[in-house]
Order: sequence, then C-alpha cells, then structure tokens
Amino acid sequence: MSAANARRVEPSVEVPISVTVNGETVETTVAARQLLADFLREELRLTGTHVGCEQGICGACTINLDGEPVRSCIMLAAQVDGSSIITVEGLSAQGLGPLQQAFKDNHGLQCGFCTPGFLMTLSTVDPDEYPGTAGIREAISGNLCRCTGYGGIIRAVRTAWDRPDHG
Amino acid sequence: MADSFALGDRPVYVGSHVTRSQDDALLTGAGTYVGDLRRDGMAEIAVVRSTVAHGRITAIRTDAAAAVDGVIEVITAADLTDVSPYPNFASAYTQTPDTFPLARHKVRYVGSPVAVVLAEDRYIAEDAAELVEVDYEELPAVTSLEEALEPDSPRLFEHWPNNRLLDLQPDDSEVAAILADNRVFRRRYKMGRHTAMPMEARAALAERRDGRLHLWCTNQHAHIARTTLSYVLPVAERDIRVVIPHVGGGFGLKQHLYPEDVLVSWLALRHGRAVRFVEDRAEHMIAAAHARDHMMDIEAAITDDGRILAMRVQVVQDLGSAEIFPGAWCPALTTAAHMTGPYDIRDCVVATAAVTTNKTPGGSYRGFGVPEAVFAVERFIDELAAEVGVDRIDLRRSMLLQTSDLPYTTASGALLDSGSFAESLEKVVDLGEQAYRRAEAEHGTDPDSRVGVGYAVLFEGVSPTHHGASAHWAGHESCSIEVQPDGSVRVTSGVTDQGQGTTTFVATMTADALGVPIETVHVELADSDATPYGLGAFGSRQAVVGGGALLMAASEVRTKIKSIAAHMLEAPEEDLVIEAGRVHVAGSPTPAATIAEIATTAVIRTIDLPPGVDPGLEATARYEPELMEHVPDARGRINPCASYANAAHAAVIRVDMGTGEIEILDYLLAHDCGRVINPPIVDGQIWGGIAQGLGGTLYEDLCFNDLGQPQTAFMDYLVPSAMEMPDLVIEHFESPSPNTPLGIKGVGEGGTVGPAAAIGNALAHALAEFDPQIRETPLSPAVVRAMIPD
Repeated sequence: MSAANARRVEPSVEVPISVTVNGETVETTVAARQLLADFLREELRLTGTHVGCEQGICGACTINLDGEPVRSCIMLAAQVDGSSIITVEGLSAQGLGPLQQAFKDNHGLQCGFCTPGFLMTLSTVDPDEYPGTAGIREAISGNLCRCTGYGGIIRAVRTAWDRPDHG
Repeated sequence: MADSFALGDRPVYVGSHVTRSQDDALLTGAGTYVGDLRRDGMAEIAVVRSTVAHGRITAIRTDAAAAVDGVIEVITAADLTDVSPYPNFASAYTQTPDTFPLARHKVRYVGSPVAVVLAEDRYIAEDAAELVEVDYEELPAVTSLEEALEPDSPRLFEHWPNNRLLDLQPDDSEVAAILADNRVFRRRYKMGRHTAMPMEARAALAERRDGRLHLWCTNQHAHIARTTLSYVLPVAERDIRVVIPHVGGGFGLKQHLYPEDVLVSWLALRHGRAVRFVEDRAEHMIAAAHARDHMMDIEAAITDDGRILAMRVQVVQDLGSAEIFPGAWCPALTTAAHMTGPYDIRDCVVATAAVTTNKTPGGSYRGFGVPEAVFAVERFIDELAAEVGVDRIDLRRSMLLQTSDLPYTTASGALLDSGSFAESLEKVVDLGEQAYRRAEAEHGTDPDSRVGVGYAVLFEGVSPTHHGASAHWAGHESCSIEVQPDGSVRVTSGVTDQGQGTTTFVATMTADALGVPIETVHVELADSDATPYGLGAFGSRQAVVGGGALLMAASEVRTKIKSIAAHMLEAPEEDLVIEAGRVHVAGSPTPAATIAEIATTAVIRTIDLPPGVDPGLEATARYEPELMEHVPDARGRINPCASYANAAHAAVIRVDMGTGEIEILDYLLAHDCGRVINPPIVDGQIWGGIAQGLGGTLYEDLCFNDLGQPQTAFMDYLVPSAMEMPDLVIEHFESPSPNTPLGIKGVGEGGTVGPAAAIGNALAHALAEFDPQIRETPLSPAVVRAMIPD
C-alpha cells in the first residue's frame, strides 16, 4: 500500500518524455494523465490519428508503436518514453504509398474517419500470417468501419497484397 | 424531363469510376474533421448530463466546479435567458415537447444536458463537470412504447393529455368493412432500438469573428443549421456562418441541430473566444439520436389463397423523450407510407402514433422508417403463405406490381413511376435457390445446423420532402456554376458530403454537363457563406435534387458558351459541340474555341461578346421536383418523394443449433436506383447499407432497464466487423425514372432496408420445423437459441 502510494503521480504532474514520431525525435514534457492520442493530436498537431471511441474498441486511433499496432486512446503519452511511433502522416514519404493508393483505387474509404486506423493496423501486419480473404478479414477485425461494409477495404488489401479474389 | 436536365454533348464521366478528390487528404491524415480544428485561445466544454431518466431538478450546485483552476464558467438553463426553445413547425398535428439546449426544471432521459462547464481544455472541463451536483426528485419512468400507450402511464410532458406526440387515426371504415366480410390474418412486428453510430461522434467549434458567429460542426445541412440557430439564438441569420468540414459519417444522426451546437455558439459569443465540443463515445451512446424502436400491427383481409385484399395497420414509434430538433416522428409516417410494399393492395389504412418515453430522443437514421415497414410486410407475407399453405414466392408473384402496372399510385399516395419489382425478385430467387441448394448440400446432413433462405422485395421512397428532416415544407436543392477567365470551373451547391461521395458526383456531373476535364472543376460545399441555400443531405436525395439543380445551372452556362463560341468561330450554335474543354463544329475538331477563351471573353474581354449576350459565364439554379408533395390530401394520401428505388434481397443462412448463431452463407441483392453515376460509389453505398441493416438485424440493440437506465455501452453495441460482414452479390437493374433528372434515383439507404426481412424470413425457413415466432429484431444468438427446443 505504502509502496503504491509512494509511486503515485498526480495526474497534472508533468513527465519528461523522449519519443521518435515519424522519424523525428520529440523531447518534451506531458501531463501524466494525457492520453497518447491527445498528445499526438493536440500537442504535435498530428490530427490524422482519429479518436472514435476513447475505449480501445473501434481502432480508429491505431498507431504503429515500435512495430506493433497500438490503440493510442487507451495509452498514456508518458508511457511512450523511449519509443518510436509512426502515425498515418508518416506512412508515406511523399503522396500515397501502395496501400493508400489501393484504398483510393478500390473505393476502400467513404468518410475516411476510420481509415488511418485501418492503414496503421495493416502497416504492421505480415501478410503471410493472414492468408486468403479470411486472413484479410481477420487482420482488420480490430478496426470498425461504419460506411463501407468492408467490401472496398477488403478489395483494397487484396490489391495491395497482390492476392486473387478467392483463396 | 426537360432538356435543361440533359448532360452535355459528349459525356465521359457519368457512369464510370471517377476516383474521389478528397481521398488523398483522407488517406494521409490531412483530412480536417471538426475535432481536428483548433483556434488560438480556444476553450472546451464538458456537459453535465442527467443521471436519472425522469425527474424534477430541485437544485444544481456549480460553485465547486466553478472554483476549479482553468474553469471559465459553469452554466445551467437559468443562464440562457436570451435563448429561445426550438420551434415546432408541425404543431397543427403534433404535441410540442419542451426542447431547449439545457434541461429546464425537468429531465426526461439519462444523458439530457443539465449544465455545461467551459474550461481551458477538455481535461479540466471533465474534472469540473464531476463536481457539479444536481438534485432530482425522481419520477416514475416510462421505458417502452407499450407503457407509453397505457392510459394511466406517467406523462413526460404534464400538459399533454397523454404521451402521444403524434396520433393520426384516419377513417378506416372502408377497410373495416372489407375486414368484416373476409378471412382476416393478423400479426404484430417490432424492430429494436438502433443508432447510426458514425465512427466520428459529434463535434462543434464556434467562434466570434468580425462580430459574426462562425460555427464549424458535423451537421448534415449548413443552411438549415444556420436558420435553426437563428431561431434559438438572439442572432440574425446574416450574422451566422455554418461550415461543415470533413465529416466522419452522418447516416441521419447528424441531421439534428443538437444542444451542444447551440451551447458552444452561445458561449463563444458570450466570451469572445473559440469554444469547442468534441463528443466522446460514452456520451454519444446516450445523447446522440437513437432510432427505429417501432411496432407494426397488421390486419389483412385475405382470399383463401392468401392474396391480400385490404390492410389495416397501426404503427407506433418510440420517440424517447422527443427533445430533439427537428423532431423525429416522421419515420413513423414513412413506415406507414411503405406498408403495402410493392404489391397491388388498393385498400390500406394506417393509424400512426409516435409516443414519448424516458429514453434518449429518437432521430433520423438511414432507412428512416422503411426497414421497419419492409420487415413487417415481408415477414407478414411469409407467415401468411405458411398459414394458407401456399408458396411464399408464388404469393408474392400474385400481388407484385408488374412493369405494365406502372405508373402506379400506392394506397398511401406514393407514385411509383418506374421500377423492376418482379424482375428483381425473380433474379434473387434464381440466385437464392441455387445458393440454398449449395448450402443444403454442404450442411444438410449436419444435425447441429439448419439452413434456410429468405427473400424480401421492396420499394423505397427517395428524395423526399424536407418535412421529415426539418419540419419545413420544401424539397429543393441549389447549385451555382461559375467559369473563371482561365477556364476553370467553381461549383457550389447546398448539398453536403459526409463521406458518401457527394463532392465526386458534383464534379462528375459538372464536368460532363459543361464538357470540361474534371480536373478543371473545383467543388465547394457546406459553407453557408460560400454556397447557395440548400437543404443538404437526407433521404438519399442529393444526386437527384442536387443533380437536377446542377444540370439546370450547367444548361444555362452551356447555352452561353455556345452562343459566344458561335460568334468566335462564325458557325451556327446548333452545329457546335463542347468536349474536353473545347468548342468546335461537330465532326471537325478544328478550329476550336477553348473554354478559357470563351470565359475570358465573357468576363474580361466583353468587348468581343456578340451583340445581346450579357457579360459573365455563370448560373445559379434551384430544382424542386414537381411531383413531390409536402402535405397529405383530405384522405391522408401523399406522394412525399421525387422518386422510388427498389430492390430484392435474398439471404442464405446457417443456424448453429447449439448456440443459435446465424451465419450468413450468401447475401444476394438485386438493386435498382435508376441511372448510375459512379458504379463503385453506388456499390459502396449498398455494402455499407447492408452492413448497417445486418447490424440491426443480428447484433445491435440499445437496451434500457425499468428505471430508464441505459444498459448498452459501446462495447455491447455490436457494430459488425469484417468478420461478421458477408460477401455480397449485387445485381443491378436500371429503371430510370421519367420524372427525375437523368432518371436518377437515390441509393444512400437502399441496402439498409432489406436485411431484417430477408434474414427473418431465412430464419423462419431454417427453423420451420419448430414453428418459430420471428416478429422482432434483433435476432441475436440468445433469441434464436430460445426458438430451438432443447
């Protein structure tokens, strides 16, 4: 109990962090309670990371944290000290990368709000671990889309992963 | 249709896959949704919401909250002395709820806004909101439509005679006489409580700039939002600007001008700083519009072979507290208007009630009353076929409207001018029976499975009067086209884009109608300072009505282009064609005048204009479909829509006998929305619509307990993921409407309206041996399992 109390940090306390975001090192202090999504959006103004539910369910806020897809809405900014983050803004050095282009060509997005989360999840996935169309469905099963019914998204991933219609 | 709705001379874009101009931004994180906007000195709000479903507010203590560092102000309804209640334009036939941005005296649902904390940021605002104490004298809660109908039910609005906001009981004596003389079949159906659940919740940012109110919000109508703000706030409409940037899905839910839109506006004007509201998902579950929650009672006079001679129907919609603007009783009226389905049933009388309960206010949601009607009618026909012992498809065939019956006016007054009702049904029956045989072959011997196929055939009103969306009696849309001296084209319109592809259809149709490359067309929507007054997005209307206005404006510009070109080329106007931004005599590409040369002449070299031609190369047009009606006739009949799309759905399912889970093996659809502008976008609308329809049929349900406490968190509200969504087979029919521009019908809602009926019928087929009663949604595993004897 006393040990726990000793480690307790007031929510408003500022915590220093050093984090690499889209290849650039950011050294700053953050409020101990600030969510990672809010840090990215409000402090770094990387507003491509969208907050859809603040509960870790919808997947819109997914980012690439040290190679893993992570919900930035249920993680604190203070926790990413020493990590490397890629957001949708860092997905392609210029213009659209192949996955993004496939989304555009296959009408894989409508309102676009969930799209960065899908892109970030897919950018961390090894296609070989998700074979066939069933694999694609599984790979994106942690991201919700309310517009497309997933048809265009699945076609886009098939295109990007050079995968035939059925298999 | 008049020539003014024609496309240009050489259309190349309409009917093809034009990719969307906004996608590059959306795919790189450069979209600008309201929540992405910040302003210097911006403050944020958190809303204190009612924790009880029904109660009188006896005290609100805000001192502790106001004392928190970083809190600017805490307000309650008492502070809003210069704010007016939302109006009720339908008071001639409805009761008026007390719709005000913050609860006055009473709360009527959990989630009702009671106080607002304005603070330096949302974290501080939420801290302080927890310190606001509200005392309630709790009242008994009304939590279902059945309870609300009870004569001695507690009343939400004490000055009303009952809880019926809407209560239309038309003269049913003619139908009653037919019922008295014939065999009668009766059933009751209910559809559960859903919500649109756009992935972006609501958001608003208000700012006082140059003495005017600027509001960036997620609303589906820039101009109607502006007009509504002028009713509620003490601000002239000329001093209000509403801008709708990228929106993360609307689906009807964002049609309403919510309390928070008004509150940030009021606070921004009061404090002279930008004020932002970004709704979180927990709030969204209880404070953004709910929908469906309908009950349909059908009585039909039938022949011995099951044909329906006449119907008497009672539709009841659960409105929740009804404290929302615009009010949302119109889905019930839409349900009523679709109760005959696409069948030749001459006598149908529908009584319609919309009742208030202590739940989140009901509002608009994709489908808007039609899924309810289709579920009831199509389940009724399957049950009727079983009752009289005829084949369910044959029974449909015996009543279905044939192409030769068109135009046909339904019993409720809808003018079906075109369609493919019989053809679409035959197509899905053909595909559905094949798929069913495959399913039988694969699972037929598995004792733990049952397979079934179900069908639904339907029509769906599209491009309706705005009455259902705003309570205004209007149905027009606007478009303004301006060709700049360099030949580039600026198009503005009152239509709006929540992701459905509006911007793209505007660019596509403009490019074809003017004969210019699509890259030269710039589309600007949803800024009330920059676009002509329009009614915005609702009812699958924008391509029909916005498209009509666009074609009218383009026709005027095209005529002028040709008269100037004729002068420049010394050729008769009627010999000229416009293509790829050049005007030349048909069949001889040179000499040609470019659009840039013509526009330059029209705008900054008027010295070269032919005699009698006015300067400028621009036009603004408004289009209101001629046949659309806004008010019923003396018998209650109305043709409320510009057009009617149609579809037939087939679902082949496998039921897991152990768990009750429904697995969709095949979902097949024949759809007819008239002429198609952009095939992938049309398919995308259908896929998305089906996903929402399946969600409501199988998974999604907003539950309340007896105290009116919401029981469904976001985690429990099972929006389908890619794992649940089946592959679709979509067959397109194109029956252009003779009464709409280019024969276009709307497509935005078509997919949503069929799944409940098709799945319900498939389940009845699969479990026929147990005679299941499938009369409600959702058909969750627990519900289905209970239909199977142990």
